Amino acid sequence: MIRLWWRSLARSLRSGRTLFLLAVLGVALGVASVVAIQTLNQGALGAFDGSVRAVSGRADLTVLGLTPAFPETLLVPTLADPAVEAAWGLCRVDAAVDGVEGLLLDMVGVDLLAPVGLPLEATLGAADPGDAQAGILAAMVTPGWVAVTPELAANQGWAVGDAIEVSSGSRTAPLVIGALVDFRTLDPMAPPNLAVMDIAQVQGLLARPGLLHQIDIRLRPGTDTEAAAARLGVALGPGVTVVTPEQRQQDTRSLLAAFRLNLTALSLISVFVGVFLVLSSVQASLTIRRREFGILRCIGATPLQVRALILAEVGVLGLAGIMVGIPLGYAMALANLQTVSGTLTNIYVLDGISNLTLTPGVVLLGAAVGLCGALAGALWPAVEISRRDPLVLLAPVNLHEQVSRIAFRLSAVAALAAIAATAWFAWAGSRTNYGGFIYGGIMMLALPLVVPLVISLTAGSARPRGIGPALCLRNLAVRRQASTLAVSALAVTVSMLVGVTLLVAGFRSTLISWLDVTVRADIYVSSKSWARAGPEATLDSDLLAGLRSWPGVAAVEEQRRMHLYTADRRFRIWLNGIKVADIPGAELATRLPLKKGAPEAVAAGLEHGEILIGEPLAQKARLDIGDTLVLSGPSGPLRYRVAGIAYDYTSEGGTAFVTMPTLQKSFPGEPTSNAALFLEPGADQDDLLRDLRAAYSDRPLVLRSNADLRREVLAIFDQTFAVTGTLRTLALIIACLGVALNLLVQARERAGELGLLRSLGATRRQIFGLFVGEGLGVGILGLGLGLVGGIGLAALLIVFVNRQWFGWTIRPAWAGQDLAQQAVIILLAVVLAAVVPAWKAGQADPLTLTRDDL
Amino acid sequence: MKSALRMILLAMAACFVLGAAGGVWRDAAPGYRWSFPADLAAHPDYKTEWWYVTGHLDRPGGETLGFQVTFFRVGLLPPGKQTGRTAWDPRDLVMAHAALTDPDSGRHVFSEVIRRTTPFLGGFGSPGDSMLAWCAAPAGTPGKWTLVHADGVFRVRVRDNAQDLAFTLTCRPTRKPVFHGDGGFSPKTATGDVGSLYFSQTRMEVQGSVRIAGRGTPVTGSAWLDREIFSNTLGSDQKGWDWAALNLDSGEDLMLYRLRGKERHDDFALGTFVDSLGAAAPLPGNAWRLEPLRWWASPHTGARYPVAWKLTVPGRNLTFRLEAVLPDQENVSALTGIHYWEGAVTVAPWENPDRIIGRGFVELTGYGEGSRPPV
Repeated sequence: MIRLWWRSLARSLRSGRTLFLLAVLGVALGVASVVAIQTLNQGALGAFDGSVRAVSGRADLTVLGLTPAFPETLLVPTLADPAVEAAWGLCRVDAAVDGVEGLLLDMVGVDLLAPVGLPLEATLGAADPGDAQAGILAAMVTPGWVAVTPELAANQGWAVGDAIEVSSGSRTAPLVIGALVDFRTLDPMAPPNLAVMDIAQVQGLLARPGLLHQIDIRLRPGTDTEAAAARLGVALGPGVTVVTPEQRQQDTRSLLAAFRLNLTALSLISVFVGVFLVLSSVQASLTIRRREFGILRCIGATPLQVRALILAEVGVLGLAGIMVGIPLGYAMALANLQTVSGTLTNIYVLDGISNLTLTPGVVLLGAAVGLCGALAGALWPAVEISRRDPLVLLAPVNLHEQVSRIAFRLSAVAALAAIAATAWFAWAGSRTNYGGFIYGGIMMLALPLVVPLVISLTAGSARPRGIGPALCLRNLAVRRQASTLAVSALAVTVSMLVGVTLLVAGFRSTLISWLDVTVRADIYVSSKSWARAGPEATLDSDLLAGLRSWPGVAAVEEQRRMHLYTADRRFRIWLNGIKVADIPGAELATRLPLKKGAPEAVAAGLEHGEILIGEPLAQKARLDIGDTLVLSGPSGPLRYRVAGIAYDYTSEGGTAFVTMPTLQKSFPGEPTSNAALFLEPGADQDDLLRDLRAAYSDRPLVLRSNADLRREVLAIFDQTFAVTGTLRTLALIIACLGVALNLLVQARERAGELGLLRSLGATRRQIFGLFVGEGLGVGILGLGLGLVGGIGLAALLIVFVNRQWFGWTIRPAWAGQDLAQQAVIILLAVVLAAVVPAWKAGQADPLTLTRDDL
Repeated sequence: MKSALRMILLAMAACFVLGAAGGVWRDAAPGYRWSFPADLAAHPDYKTEWWYVTGHLDRPGGETLGFQVTFFRVGLLPPGKQTGRTAWDPRDLVMAHAALTDPDSGRHVFSEVIRRTTPFLGGFGSPGDSMLAWCAAPAGTPGKWTLVHADGVFRVRVRDNAQDLAFTLTCRPTRKPVFHGDGGFSPKTATGDVGSLYFSQTRMEVQGSVRIAGRGTPVTGSAWLDREIFSNTLGSDQKGWDWAALNLDSGEDLMLYRLRGKERHDDFALGTFVDSLGAAAPLPGNAWRLEPLRWWASPHTGARYPVAWKLTVPGRNLTFRLEAVLPDQENVSALTGIHYWEGAVTVAPWENPDRIIGRGFVELTGYGEGSRPPV
């Protein structure tokens, strides 16, 4: 049997090399999209996990602030717990490196005497253990001593002893490279921008005295970790939370859940389309080899053996696809690393991805997807052909008739599935987390089922009178099974393209409208280290005083942005304390477009200590006007009555606004994070911006004009969705391969028919045109169906999935130009895909005619 | 002249650092004008100092216990170099060691703390403060370790729940302070250019309670306090020292130390003899001999320590046999990796070893591999 299988495989490859290669490519691209997305997903999580393990690898528990920072005196009750073997405080700051655009050091300030487990001693005492002790003390007392990674030093050309300048907020500090410490000895995913200093120096130079951001705890062996965490939680009070490393990792996974899920869903569409390609390829291959299977059955092969033979062949196809797809996926992940990393930093204020690793898990997943996809695509044709009577297989029967007979049945199944799914979604699915995705998936599965009927209705009525468009349509209808596969693949792909295009266009236009209302100041001032909105990236009061009194500046709005947990710890939100500019029109309630609440009532509420919450927070926490938002404060829950709900697109996690006096009441002394300048009438924005930049050239400030800020926001938006472009392109390539495959099969299968046409006088050019026309027909049908499916998908994404996962209101926008562009590209791609099969068909020889063909 | 080698290590390293940073510590020098109680408090302009309390505690129905409590201050930056920006500013390290020896159970329990001084982790009092030194208890134990001086009495409080070690002791001096060397300047080399400011409360009555085997036990006894202040360190050719503090039933006291060189057994030695009326007289290095009689090999570190000695002071016509109450009184620091022997001893006449005529403490440093800082 095995020898037979090898022969069969060899024959199959010889007879259908192009078919095989196209199917392999389909599987490969599907696998590649999954591998790319999962590698990026894992990279995103790995960047955070690597940072956690490198800094807190020896910790069993970590104390984190529910507010941005907490009193360092909490170290004392932490140390006092009976389960604690050691505990040490950390002061963490994102510090911008002067002269290196975009480089932020993840600065970890730690008591260098504490048993933290960083590889400092190993580095400093590499030559002599005694040097390590002296080195640690030197690190403590040498001003600006910092240990950086060898990788970063190599990238920047730094050596031990070199001086660098960093900034945190508007403060700058001169540092000296004291040691090159490879934190990757602790974790291979440790970020290269990790830097370690003594806690006194980080706190004194770049952060705030008296405050820590983290306490790491090592427990005594045999301790009940959960009990210790619970006990410490009580002992340390309401301002902090005590978590295990696993819980920290879980929190990040939750934070990125929506982002990861959306990318995964998009990548699965590529797999789905790839399955069609395999189905199409296997179907074609089996059609060509039906006589071979008929003979096999006649000489005693059982249906099961035939099925096994086919599936084993497809297994080889799948394996080939996997071998190509996995490295391709990794390459795609590398190509998208910068954009995804930028999204993590800009949107989720997490560590950017510094390196990607192709993990065994992802390789296995890619292999499983490739193999299962290939087998899924082959299963139905294999079962179908193995069931056939051997005599039928030996006769020149067109297998495509099968689909014609069941076209209406398939459409009925599709309609029933769609109705059932809609009913389920309306009744229960919409209330579940993944309901939208399941519903969308079912509808995408149902779409191909209506394709035979659509082909029958649109192309079946064509009455050809010669070689022309009508014959093209008629051929599509006659060869419905092959056409169905190609049209289905294209329709699903176009659905995704249209759905995502409409979503992005709607979102972008909504964002632009929102920016028009909210971004009203003339000049925006923040610091270079503000990129990740760290709590220490603040502006000094002398700087703010200087800005207020600057000639031409009418008023300054100040903002303090803080990451806080709700009291139930379910959500981590951004609380913005705003000191509004004292000019008409700058009031908060009129500046933020309100979804709920009258501007006057909201303004009055804010003045009385109430809170204005963003739409995503209202949606997730199910809050309405008059409800109470309870946040974790430094010394207990902070209760704010909700005065209004504003449209907000700054964070999917949730945002809320209070006046600065309200914020200061609960968080006294919190410094300003950034400022916005309103200019006096007649003041020249460009001149003033230039003067300010010149005057503060020695301060690590970022001064943006109104237009600059908008441009940057939109650039971040575009970057966030850039990765979807790759996935969309990938799916489109697979779909076009499907069209090419379909036509190639037909060129071979219809050799007799084409020969007849040639013998009746059809020119090569006419045959070429016939095939291109058929390809175009597939393209138009796929486009039409895809447009319908895409609009439905866009509605689902905008109205339901987006609301549920992100909580944003997106106003639909008809991206006519984008869609028209894409339609042209798709049709061109389809025509291009048809060129080679059409050329091959044009080579049909009238001498190949057989009696059966006649 | 007592300490753990780790402290010396840190001090030496700090010296190196400060040299590089151009910091200036004040050197101990002859002619120091002592002032009490001010000199009980910390001296931040000197780099290193300690408060070293050792003693013997009697309890109902049991053998006499030995105890040690030491607070070390190791300066990191001299006052002029400190930035004062945050509580974590590297000013000093506070290192505290505590040990209890129970001959009945054969247990020697040691506990330790090392922290940088901050208002919440540990620190030292200024002149006028009753709190001389303190630090947060070791991880896992609430509260602080403290050494307080008020109303002429020293109070020591130590607790480590993980080690089941705790004692609260009140130590009342019964003699005036004894100044070693030249008016309290104790030289550490033959040339006398290096030394420390050094005085002792050689006799203190002790009352308090000790936790043994999970139960608090009232105790009474006697203790010895050493105060030593300096800025310099061991010479590069010195590898450790032997130190002894003995209280004789006759009312006489002896303090003896010898620095051991890498090449020679006695690099430099000095002592102080205190008569029964409290009058102190220096004992030059050649006026006494301390000869090991028996050795003990530590199963913890492999170091070999003498645990019985013959002490001869020919000028005073004294010959004693010193015997450790327990061989294993080695302090092994998990935090710093250093080890030294700090143990209670009995004093007996050489000719009649069964008759105990005094008690004391012996400290042995620089024995075994890794107990001497690389210099």
